[in-house]
Amino acid sequence: MRKGYIVVLILILATLLMINLVPVLSNFNNLNSLATSSQHYIEHGIEETGSINLVTSILLDYRGFDTLGETIVIFIVVSTITVLAVPNLGYRNDNICSPIVKQSISMIIPFLYLLGFYLIAYGHLSPGGGFTGGVLIAITFILLAVIFGVGYIKAEARRELISRSLIENLAALGFVISGMVGIAAGYNFLSSGQLGLSFGSPGNLVSGGLIPIFNLMIGIKIGAGMSVIFSHLIKEE
Amino acid sequence: MKAGYCSVIILFCLGLYTIVAYRNLIKIIIGINIMESSLILLLIIGGYRPQGAAPIITRPFEKVVDPLPQALALTSIVIGASITALMLFLVIKLNKEYGTLNIDEIRRLRG
Repeated sequence: MRKGYIVVLILILATLLMINLVPVLSNFNNLNSLATSSQHYIEHGIEETGSINLVTSILLDYRGFDTLGETIVIFIVVSTITVLAVPNLGYRNDNICSPIVKQSISMIIPFLYLLGFYLIAYGHLSPGGGFTGGVLIAITFILLAVIFGVGYIKAEARRELISRSLIENLAALGFVISGMVGIAAGYNFLSSGQLGLSFGSPGNLVSGGLIPIFNLMIGIKIGAGMSVIFSHLIKEE
Repeated sequence: MKAGYCSVIILFCLGLYTIVAYRNLIKIIIGINIMESSLILLLIIGGYRPQGAAPIITRPFEKVVDPLPQALALTSIVIGASITALMLFLVIKLNKEYGTLNIDEIRRLRG
């Protein structure tokens, strides 16, 4: 009875949205000119930031504050989970997976690491970047924990978790400090293109000012943070 | 393009229905995720231009899709992932405290 009312209401909402919203929005797609900010990013993005991937140049140079906010959100989530979770460190599941799975996963893991660091290092040249690469690095931790179990003795496990949290905090601190370089040089916080230190011509691996450093810090932070979240969730009995 | 916007609206309404109609906390989280995916799809489709190249400038181009919504979509994906982790963690805590995932029963137990 109740579900019937809900279905009718949702259907009415969907038809209203389709009638009113779809024509307006699809007009928006056929415009020949973009918004002025996007037009500026496309025309002047490469010479102003030195990164040929425009999404990275927006994310880490023009809108660095957004990215700082993002990293703070993840930092808050990790802190909440680490404070609230009661880690049960004696957890162990050894014989869930067959030897075939264990062997193939242990062959894949180095390549996953390589792919993650490749995505981080080439974030200003190709699709990818700190977030994607960091998630890949966290995935290797998750695969190891799921396939091989998380059977450590207590002190060792706690030390390992604390070291990963410490890495995450240090990477967040490194991101803020490398943003401070802009202030020290007399420009805005988290600016890299304004500093004028693009070390190479756009398109090379070493180029783009401070953007690769930001990418590296974000990648380490996301990788450590996601793996800390996962470890706490799986050890919470 | 119209089909894309229609699918955005259908996905959004499906997520809203899942949130409103079901009483299970896990299903509510799934509904929130469906709504969030529909909004990410809206951002991506809104930035699309017909015959536009990807916003990685390696050769001379005629037309590029809008890179700004893609950066915003990246932001919202990351925040959505961390919010989902937090929600799942709180569901684990609630399940341990009350022994159930039904929000009606959880409300009743507290009075």
